[in-house]
Amino acid sequence: MKPKEAVGIAVTLIAVIVMLYELFYVNLTGGAIGVSGAVTTDAALLSAAFIMILIGPWLWLGDAPVAVKKLVEARTGRKL
Amino acid sequence: MVPILILLIVLLIYGLAYVFYGKRLLEQRVVKADSRRLTPAWEKFDGIDYVPANKYVLYGHHFASIAGAGPIVGPAIALAWGWLLPLAWVLFGNIFIGAVHDYTSIIASVRYGGVTIMTISENVMGRKARYIFLAYVWFALILVLAAFFSVCSATFVGVPTAATVAIMYMPLALLLGLMVYRLGLSVKPATVISLVLVILAIAYSFYAPTYLTYEGWVIVLAIYSFVAAALPVWYLLQPRDYLNAYLLWAFVTLAVLAPLLAPVVRLTGPPIISFAASGAVVGAPLGTPPAGQPIGWFWPMVPLTIACGALSGFHSVVGSGTTSKQLSNELDALLVGYGGMLTEGAVSSLAVILPAALVWDFASAAQSAGIPVDLMAEALARVGVDMTKTPNVLGLEAVPRFTVAYGLAQAIAWSRLFGVGMLPGLLVGFNTFAAWALTAFMLTTLDTANRLARFSWVEMFDWLKPRAPRLYRVLANRWTASLVAVILGAVMAYPSIPNPVPGQPPIRAYVIVWPAFAGTNQLLAALALLTATLWVYAILRIRGGPALLMLVPAAFLWLTVTAALVLWLVLIVPYLPLLYIVGTGSIVAVSVALDIVLIYLFVRGLKMAGKA
Repeated sequence: MKPKEAVGIAVTLIAVIVMLYELFYVNLTGGAIGVSGAVTTDAALLSAAFIMILIGPWLWLGDAPVAVKKLVEARTGRKL
Repeated sequence: MVPILILLIVLLIYGLAYVFYGKRLLEQRVVKADSRRLTPAWEKFDGIDYVPANKYVLYGHHFASIAGAGPIVGPAIALAWGWLLPLAWVLFGNIFIGAVHDYTSIIASVRYGGVTIMTISENVMGRKARYIFLAYVWFALILVLAAFFSVCSATFVGVPTAATVAIMYMPLALLLGLMVYRLGLSVKPATVISLVLVILAIAYSFYAPTYLTYEGWVIVLAIYSFVAAALPVWYLLQPRDYLNAYLLWAFVTLAVLAPLLAPVVRLTGPPIISFAASGAVVGAPLGTPPAGQPIGWFWPMVPLTIACGALSGFHSVVGSGTTSKQLSNELDALLVGYGGMLTEGAVSSLAVILPAALVWDFASAAQSAGIPVDLMAEALARVGVDMTKTPNVLGLEAVPRFTVAYGLAQAIAWSRLFGVGMLPGLLVGFNTFAAWALTAFMLTTLDTANRLARFSWVEMFDWLKPRAPRLYRVLANRWTASLVAVILGAVMAYPSIPNPVPGQPPIRAYVIVWPAFAGTNQLLAALALLTATLWVYAILRIRGGPALLMLVPAAFLWLTVTAALVLWLVLIVPYLPLLYIVGTGSIVAVSVALDIVLIYLFVRGLKMAGKA
């Protein structure tokens, strides 16, 4: 496994755990995530997880799917 | 029965326009689309921006990207003229200008290897036109970013459950992409799984508000926009926009169902109030003298108020930016470009104007629907509207005018099925749904606008490539190009500054230049349509009726927008505080000057093409 993929898995896992914690545990116990008019740890954590979930799977799984690459190669005759 | 009649007329007009104007004329006689011609998505495939997409996925992307807040907010403001005039403009502009403009921008870009309409202008109007155009568009996109950071952040603060929906929605969109592209699941089951999860997420979000400050949201959204715009399109953009399209279709379908469910409810709004609305309707800042004067003439000022629902220059940038790079087959462009624009017109006409015309006068709407006026007042109070102080939709600001009108039309319709007593609860639910739909449109536009700013930036510096290749590589790097746009947009959206108009509340910095955006955006539409028309005339060598069917609307639009901008410059700018004159006034003045230069280049190009 490449280091980039390992980082991707770690980022994805952390993001998923934080999201589940904030959305379900914090919200169900407190009735909301964060406090109106303030920057709280919970809101900051959920926001960070929101960004991390975008990056993690991309680092983990790479750029273009192999199936799409093969399709393009077959249609254009270009070696990718 | 009048609402149903209007609904049927609008749907019939759109259907006829798609088949006869779009398919028979534009696709078959003008651009002669050919499925055998390889598109840039295949020829220049890079796995990031150039990736072939399924036509329905691309339709979702294009529709969700062009449908920012514009198709909703503009027509809501335009109700100041009554409901009939905005509806007529939306239908006319949509079919003869907007959809033609969007479709030809996509096809022209595809024929030039996926470059933007600004770069295509070089081939028909010369090199100067191209760089003027690129700089102009890049700046406009920064403004779009600033405005959307601000409006989206304010909406998240005002409707905190909408923020939760957005946060839960993104991972579900990613999941859809991964199921299709990585796990090899076919699109249908993956769509069903994702939609079920989205519905559950929306239902849960009702009980899970996320609170953050305005400034906090600006930072989060800026980071989101930066990251999302640099990620490969197949990974986030395609699946998210595909899912978005379902949300947006649900939104339009509900709007269509409302008059059918409540056929006895009559229109309570006036078809025409006046041909001259107040200056505020056409963008004069509130509190300034022109804002209260009757200088907002329907013609030529209407394009300054109604943009995306009828026509918008931003669409040509999307069409020739992200869409053309993902088009798998030339024949898909009709559904994506022409169909996407008609759908956006349907959002304006059926989901904004028609509901407002139905519930315009709250007491009359209650009487017409057989609902006790007290119950109507109670329902409106639940969404923060005091019916005594605000007896009709015109008393509301633009966004609540839409959310309340849409929500109330839905609540009245569904209360006929579930019982009149449900009206307050239904209104709260649909009012929130309308706010979610609005933020879904805006979030999509946020990262698309950044991606487009990146394309414009890279094309703007291509002259550096042979002269300083290392510098060009740094500037054209996708992360650098995204970062520049995001920082500038966020810097204009973040700070609150004293309002230059005495007695008015503080404003965000971007507002100083924002009133100019409507005009510059519509001018861009006129110039993009002129470019596409010239391309059709000079390069495709189309003559006679089909050429005139493009040339006449393009010339009409140019004349309308130029006249509107000149009126703005003469009647509004001199009466604004100094800060607005420097910000907005200078942009409008520069735009008019560029407009004159570009029309000269267009006429010269047209003459040369005629001689050739």
